[in-house]
Amino acid sequence: MRLLEQEDRAGIWSRTSGGRKASLLLSKSAGRHKRRASIIGHGFLLTITSLSAVAILFIFYFIFRDALPFFQLRGLTEFFSSSRWYPSGEPSEFGALAIFAGSGLVTLGAVMVSVPLGIAASICLSDVLPFHLRQMAKPVIEILAAIPSVAYGFFALVVLAPMLQEQGGQILSIVVYVVGLPLLFLGATVLGDLFSQRLAGTHRGLIRISTTALLVGLGLLALALLGRRLTGLEISSGTNALNVSLILGIMALPTVVSVSEDALQAVGRELREGSYALGATRAETMMKVVLPAASSGILAAVILGVMRAIGETMVVWMASGNAAQIPHPWYNYLEPIRTLTATIAGDMGEADHVTGSARYHVLFAMAACLLLISFFSNLASETVRRRAMRKTQGT
Amino acid sequence: MRLRTRKLLDRSFSGLGFLSIGFMAASLLVILAPIFGRGMGAAVFQGTIEHRRLMMEKFHRGDRDMIEAELDQVRAARAPVYDMIAAFKEEPQRLSFGDRIQRRKSMREVEDLVVELLGPLPGKKRPILIRDQYGETRWDQAKVKLGRLLYIEEYDYSDRAQMGRKILVPREQKFRGTSLQPLFAYVEENMEQMFLPRTTFYWRFLFDRSLDAHFFGGIGPEVLGTLYLTIMAMIFAIPMGIIAAIYLVEYAGDSSGIQLLRTCISSLAGVPSIVFGLFGLAFFLNTLSISESKSVLAGSLTLALLVLPTVIRASEEAIRAVPHTYREAALSLGAGKWWTVVTVILPAALPGILTSIVISMGRAAGETAPIIFTAAVSVGQPLKFWETISQPTPALSWNIYNLATEHEAVDEIRHIQYGMVLTLVLLVLLLNITAIVLRARISKKLRG
Repeated sequence: MRLLEQEDRAGIWSRTSGGRKASLLLSKSAGRHKRRASIIGHGFLLTITSLSAVAILFIFYFIFRDALPFFQLRGLTEFFSSSRWYPSGEPSEFGALAIFAGSGLVTLGAVMVSVPLGIAASICLSDVLPFHLRQMAKPVIEILAAIPSVAYGFFALVVLAPMLQEQGGQILSIVVYVVGLPLLFLGATVLGDLFSQRLAGTHRGLIRISTTALLVGLGLLALALLGRRLTGLEISSGTNALNVSLILGIMALPTVVSVSEDALQAVGRELREGSYALGATRAETMMKVVLPAASSGILAAVILGVMRAIGETMVVWMASGNAAQIPHPWYNYLEPIRTLTATIAGDMGEADHVTGSARYHVLFAMAACLLLISFFSNLASETVRRRAMRKTQGT
Repeated sequence: MRLRTRKLLDRSFSGLGFLSIGFMAASLLVILAPIFGRGMGAAVFQGTIEHRRLMMEKFHRGDRDMIEAELDQVRAARAPVYDMIAAFKEEPQRLSFGDRIQRRKSMREVEDLVVELLGPLPGKKRPILIRDQYGETRWDQAKVKLGRLLYIEEYDYSDRAQMGRKILVPREQKFRGTSLQPLFAYVEENMEQMFLPRTTFYWRFLFDRSLDAHFFGGIGPEVLGTLYLTIMAMIFAIPMGIIAAIYLVEYAGDSSGIQLLRTCISSLAGVPSIVFGLFGLAFFLNTLSISESKSVLAGSLTLALLVLPTVIRASEEAIRAVPHTYREAALSLGAGKWWTVVTVILPAALPGILTSIVISMGRAAGETAPIIFTAAVSVGQPLKFWETISQPTPALSWNIYNLATEHEAVDEIRHIQYGMVLTLVLLVLLLNITAIVLRARISKKLRG
């Protein structure tokens, strides 16, 4: 590189103090030097850049190299179809179905927490909040994203789990009331309105009020029943799928919010203004115009959120209970589960001494599955995002 | 739909947005509040005389004469307790054989609890483990132990439908009419005299080595290990990241090869952290064998790979944000391309690049999964700098996990766990706040 700059200066120097011919052009050999230096420099930069790209190939190679012996030793069927996980038993069994199910369950739970809240928050950030409030909300999201996962895991294990175990029923019923009551009144009003709209006549107002009241009454009854059932619920272990899903959902929120906010901002003013000009409210504009236009960007956000949840190790390792079982029934979030990441982290300590055995290689097989999942999710989100970009640029 | 309903829907829609932002803020608060509240307790607490004795004997701190005087006071206050125990042992007991065995068992329980509370009985040989050499060093835990001495926990299973209900039975009942009975009231009344609690600010918590597997002492080796890992990871990641970013922005075109390169880098960003850990084990340790066992070097190389995509992406953005006019001005003055990059673009993009570095540092400091198999051990001495090439180290993130789940007395060292979490969170938050402030500066500068 220094060669290059010397060439530069040499050119200028010969021009100013040479005296005879003030030529801006370099001599032939200097030009050749310069070109060579530029090629070498270019090559150097490219090498460093490719090194960081080659890392992913290395990761693939080394994970799969150690994963293949497992499949050679034990075949595919047991791993993917049995849910009996006894790696240190005699004879050992390596059925990972329950562990896959655990990962899936927790990820689903995290998505159910993070996607609705994340999209609502991103709409609020991009279209509702005034500028100075947005500037205050941004650091909250950044700090939420920055807290180390082990701190989240510690919170889940030491604070949340005992709380769920002791007052789980009450907490759940309070959540149901807090979420349910506003939803109930809103839903009843809208349904009553829609219902009375179909009927023509003088008694429309009366019908609307009575339907709404009826719906509210029914809903309150249902809520009260549900709440009472939940209050009596005993949660046998606080370290369960619900706990982990909640925390993973909170951890995935910043990703979902920031990516979908970018997608919403990319939609542009014109569509929004067109919709407002037609008399739509903000909610209608967002739901019927902006969200559909930003749908692929939001899909990318959801995929990234899923990846965050599925690849997370410390929280699930500390607070999921680590029981390799499929909950019964499968949607029972109050039972402990075990995930792929936690199994790798937890079992490697023991499998480390038996390098070369199926017990060691099965963990690499799991890592390979995780790697494939994350790789394809990443490709999918890239493709979706690229398509979104092309779409918004097109309009 | 009626206009009023539409307006209601619109309002509740906005409300939902506010609520979800509120939820995020609330969860941040709920998570950080106990960490800050109880984490401070690791350094600021009511320390008993046992704490001061420990500090004097193990770290040679404190005023020796004063502590000796206090110890004399405390011994005087404790003497009746030991007298009562001795008297009870001497006491003739007219009991049946079975009752006598029962009573002896209860006696031994009381003795053990007293030893846990006050430290070893006088005149006994000094125990080997440090945890047995001292009584309770913290006043809050002394009170918990006192509760255990005064009451027996029993479970009531009379209601079969419910789980067992906990009831507390005064231990005194078991010793009614013996010379041990007054012990309980005496201990309860004279706790202060026996411990002389005093508000202690143990700021050396951050730098002290731990004693006896974190029963006492500080978290110095962990803090140092985290710093080593983070700084070494950044030493590897920063040059590579910035060079790659320069190449991608300034030199690379948009050919399909470059597209592939970009896809590779973004895939690297999506790889789960535990997979990085396994890769580090399989590549750096098992294949390259850069060290015999786990080492800081292997761990920081793994961490460097983990943060590399973040550094590249953020530096790319920072370089791209430099206005085009800068480039054109430099080129028109006769500077070469490389010269332009080094003297004009990099300085202009430096604050942005710094922001990305600071954020990645926070990420590297907090990651646990990649260092489990490559660098972390649960107990260790602080390393010298040259030992990092071959030695593993304790680190904050790993030890939080380890102490919270695998330690033999998880409940008794909660304060140390909280202290570690707080230290780690503070470290990461400080880095992130630096980044936020830096960014605010940049945007102000760009706006003029």
